[in-house]
Amino acid sequence: MRRRIFLCCLLGLYVPAGLAQDFKLHAWLDGRLVAAPAETSWTHGGLGKTRFGGGGVDARFGGAGVVGTAQFTPALMALASVQWQDTDYATLDTIEAYLRYRPVSLSRWRWSLQAGAFLPPISLENDAIGWTSSWTLTPSAINSWVGEELRATGAEGRLEWRGDDASWELRSALFQRNDPAGNLLAVRGWSLSDLTYGLGSRLHEPDAVVRRNGGQPPGRYDPFQNIGHRSGWYANLDWRTSVGGRLSLMRYDNRADPAAHSDSGVFAWHTWFWSLGASADTGPIRWIAQAMDGATVIEPVDGLQFETRFRSAFLLAGWNRGAWRPALRIEHFSTRELAAAVGTGQGEHGNAVTAALNWRPRDWLRLSAEVLRIDSVRKQRVEAGLAPASAVTQVQLGVRLIY
Amino acid sequence: MRCLLVVASLLLGNAWPVLAAEVTVHLDDGRGHAVSDAVVMLIPDAAPAAAAAPPAPATHVVDQRDETFVPYVQLLRPGDEVVFRNSDSTRHHVYSFAAIRTFEFVLRPGESSPALVMDKSGIAAVGCNIHDHMITYLFVSAVPAIALSGGDGNATIGHLAPGRYTAHVWHPQLHPGHPQPSQSVTIGGDADIGHLDFTLSLMPDPRMFMDREHLDY
Repeated sequence: MRRRIFLCCLLGLYVPAGLAQDFKLHAWLDGRLVAAPAETSWTHGGLGKTRFGGGGVDARFGGAGVVGTAQFTPALMALASVQWQDTDYATLDTIEAYLRYRPVSLSRWRWSLQAGAFLPPISLENDAIGWTSSWTLTPSAINSWVGEELRATGAEGRLEWRGDDASWELRSALFQRNDPAGNLLAVRGWSLSDLTYGLGSRLHEPDAVVRRNGGQPPGRYDPFQNIGHRSGWYANLDWRTSVGGRLSLMRYDNRADPAAHSDSGVFAWHTWFWSLGASADTGPIRWIAQAMDGATVIEPVDGLQFETRFRSAFLLAGWNRGAWRPALRIEHFSTRELAAAVGTGQGEHGNAVTAALNWRPRDWLRLSAEVLRIDSVRKQRVEAGLAPASAVTQVQLGVRLIY
Repeated sequence: MRCLLVVASLLLGNAWPVLAAEVTVHLDDGRGHAVSDAVVMLIPDAAPAAAAAPPAPATHVVDQRDETFVPYVQLLRPGDEVVFRNSDSTRHHVYSFAAIRTFEFVLRPGESSPALVMDKSGIAAVGCNIHDHMITYLFVSAVPAIALSGGDGNATIGHLAPGRYTAHVWHPQLHPGHPQPSQSVTIGGDADIGHLDFTLSLMPDPRMFMDREHLDY
């Protein structure tokens, strides 16, 4: 019962509407025309790294969502972001839902507390409604994975120092319900996909992996669940200058018990990483760079651990020309399984280039064109009867209506 | 009757000499864009013979519309009052932790704050604790010759006595730590018209205007 009341509070449903003094609703609806690569997308059990696969040129549903906020008091706000997706299977899920308490401070220091389910503050790209990117349709490999498998359910404290030339912000959280995080990087590898998963959705494992483990595809799992009784944490230090520069450093560790598993056989993956991000403006050009380096470990049998190292980095240049915003991003990604862990070595490495052109002729309308090229090598493809090397191109024309 | 008017005019002219000299300052950002909301101050190089009586305290209104403070920069004299008005349909929590004055007001839609006396010279950055992207500046100064640039990038300061002045410019987006832009100008007579041009190197605008795509929570 207590848990139900807590969840209702997070969604702003438990407090009668009359008590909240400010409600706001925002929404988006996204449609695409997609020229998809021939390889089956990971969202349909394949090993393709793009959101769409199977070849051909088709109209696709990009997604729809609603973001609601309620300002209960000047210091207390609730936010819930809900989306509808049908790329993998039709699902209505919650991207984020949290309460934030931020009292006013009449000094340079300000603190706040946030509780609920929220995304760790990793992405410097995903600054638009529904945790989308305002520069490209497809986020980088790093932020694709963040949207797929990372969600903190717990509490986050923030401490800010607001100077004349720069401001500092330290954020740290204790969280649960993210114990399977890392599984996807190990069994599938990186992806470049704007399919953000929410609470209540299920991630698709590659069919080849499901069959190898004796299962019958499709194999799906809930990445946002407790397995074992450990809490994870992250700490993020953010530095922003008044000239538009930003530097962000994070350490994340879900502290999952790699030997623990759920009744349905989903294992906890102990995942930790460093994340470094920077952004700066040179005239109308916005530069964004992020790097991530970490590992994830599973222990399916006592004393036998499989460890997968992962790393990725990208550099994005976006040209802010008012209504027109072209962007170009290059990136590298890799995973490596320790040789002692898996004899076949299922690691991967690859590069990607994304070129996008965005046009906002109206405040409520965004038109985008994007070309995404991915070159990668993954030995796991051999299991599915494919060549280990893959070079794919995905082209999208997108229309987004924003309320 | 006509004689009386002539006599009165002469008498008034003797008592209050008409100072028609003025300086117009134009400010741009070096890329052809006029710079508004810049504070221009003319400081005489020599101390004036007699200090002019300060004007009576005034009350200024800083509005909040579309989650934006209007104006971006408000000029005040020490002793002037400022009222914050909420013309939005949402609440605002106006506050400042400036050295010259700390304050906070929670303003419901349509509500105005009590008049706040700003009796110390200096600059107060003012924000909204609910909407972090909102910011305005109160520039409190006792300098008599002072003006704010308009949308055309021009600021005009009139009623100047002859003499040599130094024009100083302040803008919220000037790079901190850099020397304040300044130039000298000489007023030779009571009816002189001076002109100065400033090219300012400005940082990005810290205000995030309402955008459906960027929610900023």
